[in-house]
Amino acid sequence: MKRLVLLVVVITLAFAAVGCKSTSDHLSAIKDAGKIVVGTSADYPPFEFVDEAGTTTGFDVELMNEIAKRMGVTVEWTDMPFDSLIAAVQEGKIDASIAAFNYDEERDKTVDFTDAYYTTEDSFTVQEGFTGDLSDPMNLANYLVGAQSGTVQDGWITDNLVTPGLLPEDKYFRYERVDQAALDLQAGRIEVLMADYVPAQAVVSQFGGMTIVYHGVLSTGPLNIVVPEGDTALKDEINRVLKELQTEGFVEELAFKYFSE
Amino acid sequence: MAKPILTIKNLTKKYGENVIFHDISLTVNEGDTIVIIGPSGTGKSTLLRCINLLTCADDGQIWLDDLEITAKGCDDDRVRQHIGMVFQNFLLFNHLNALDNVMLGLTKVKHMKPDEARVKALRELERVGLADRAEHYPGQLSGGQQQRVAIARALAMDPRIMLFDEPTSALDPELIGEVLEVMRKLALEGMTMLVVTHEMGFAREVADRIVFLEKGSIVEEGPPDELFYRPKHDRTREFLWKITELYGKKDENK
Amino acid sequence: MDVAKFLQYIASGTAYTVGVTLIALPSGLILGTLLALLNVYSGKTSKALTNLYSTVMRGIPPIVLLFILYFIVSGSINLSPFLAGSISLGIVSSAYQMEIVRGAILSVSGGQMMAARAVGMSKRQAIRNVILPQTLRLAIPPWSNEAAIVIKDSSLVYALGVPEILRRAQLISASTQQPFLAYAAAAVIYFILVFITSRLLDGLEKQLRIPANP
Repeated sequence: MKRLVLLVVVITLAFAAVGCKSTSDHLSAIKDAGKIVVGTSADYPPFEFVDEAGTTTGFDVELMNEIAKRMGVTVEWTDMPFDSLIAAVQEGKIDASIAAFNYDEERDKTVDFTDAYYTTEDSFTVQEGFTGDLSDPMNLANYLVGAQSGTVQDGWITDNLVTPGLLPEDKYFRYERVDQAALDLQAGRIEVLMADYVPAQAVVSQFGGMTIVYHGVLSTGPLNIVVPEGDTALKDEINRVLKELQTEGFVEELAFKYFSE
Repeated sequence: MAKPILTIKNLTKKYGENVIFHDISLTVNEGDTIVIIGPSGTGKSTLLRCINLLTCADDGQIWLDDLEITAKGCDDDRVRQHIGMVFQNFLLFNHLNALDNVMLGLTKVKHMKPDEARVKALRELERVGLADRAEHYPGQLSGGQQQRVAIARALAMDPRIMLFDEPTSALDPELIGEVLEVMRKLALEGMTMLVVTHEMGFAREVADRIVFLEKGSIVEEGPPDELFYRPKHDRTREFLWKITELYGKKDENK
Repeated sequence: MDVAKFLQYIASGTAYTVGVTLIALPSGLILGTLLALLNVYSGKTSKALTNLYSTVMRGIPPIVLLFILYFIVSGSINLSPFLAGSISLGIVSSAYQMEIVRGAILSVSGGQMMAARAVGMSKRQAIRNVILPQTLRLAIPPWSNEAAIVIKDSSLVYALGVPEILRRAQLISASTQQPFLAYAAAAVIYFILVFITSRLLDGLEKQLRIPANP
């Protein structure tokens, strides 16, 4: 019986204890520790991916490493699925996240965004020989469409096509990762893949037999780094370094390295 | 002057509305062998379990020597050490060999050193004629051998009294003899025993007194000769007649 | 592209998979055994509570529980995703292991407990010396099954950011666009792990089998 009571107490405690960290001295804690824990989802080349040596690299990764260096700390990279990143920042599991995040009102309610470090466009990728008409983006509703779940493209399709009833739910496919969507495009299970322009270009060059028929700003726009809600000290510090890197032309060079095909 | 080892006074046991036995009083003196007989379902097994505190009686008292074991605050585990129990279906510890079966109570309950316990356990196995089977597991022993190990296990605890709950009922006929033989020997050695059995031959030969239990009450008790040849009650006579005929028929069929 | 290097990268996730399993399985066994004992031997209230625990835990997909537990466990104590994930998976497994052990306890006849008490053992002594040694032997075959499930479920901790085999296969699939190669490599590793485990447990069962005449 005693053991039972103990068990109940332990379980209750576990459920009751919810992490509540004060954010005021988060930045100084990071600087004291000499490291910042940054989450990403390394399945999104060329922004973030794993190279042959098993090292996480990419545009976002190199940028963040440089930001950290100038803050006087090193980055401890944590890889997790894209969908888990926001929750992880919110729960304080990671200090910040960089994963080609676009600003998004929903996300802004639970976390904060830094200034933009790069601006992306949306794109529609199709198989070569596609005969449809996508000059008006709203025409997307006429095809079998795929996108990566949890991305701004997913949000755009849901808000503008699915919810108004233009695109039936069963003609819209959400993928955990963009490469899975590309495989289905290749196999003909979807007709159009909506994705960030830059990774779409990477997909096209790696898969072959595909082409990008539209690019422009629909859902996307500036990319930002995600920091915990209300953590202005950390946000300001990253913004300060970002400005420095942009003035020096570091970001532009990095974009040239990763995005020019 | 005979010294009572076990005294039962006005013991009653019910399961809900169902009365198992009612107002049972019985005394077992040192060195006595008491045999309880009676039709099945008359609460004989439950009575033994009450004595061993494996089941709680609803009313009445039990003394072991001078200690009232039904009293509140009585240490059940301590009492059971002093009462040996042999079950109908042996109930040896299946994962232990014969020697370890006998040793377990010695090391865990009596906190004997393993070496001493081993010597003692071997002696008890020898007492039931199974020293050569010490390393055998229950699954490797015949029913009769298993029951003899079970007896040795109970004896090892040096009990004040041994309770036997139909010790031969689950055995093939040809294995009954070896178990009864061990029990007979124990009785001769002066062990105090309370035996529930249908073995009338054993009862007649070994018992000091026989208790006839029916429908939860003691109908008659007395020395074997009196009970078998001059029963006071018709019900006793009927039961004995039925049981001899039953066993007689069994013998004819062989 | 260097295929060998990529395969090696995937294979090096094995350490995490094995690590997660080695923490989750025994902690699930200990917790599951305690729960099973409470369920069988500890009265009505604990029976009801443990039954509720088992029903709820087994009624929710492991991945959902994993997320909930992860954010509870590591929200209160600062644990690495690896530890938090392993413990969470152990808690998920404990409900299944409780059922395994409970089934085994019930199939060890009630008479064994009675016989142990009759010799003068306390309930606790009887459980430790008579019931558990038999129960755990009986539990090995179904437990081997649960071990295979936990090894495979360990892939779920990728969702918490533990770079185990599946997550590495996903990353390689993304960077090489060779999903078949990446996932086949992962499949082979999982299979080998499960195969070895079930062989080891088979061996253990034979080793511990109680001798009996045929």
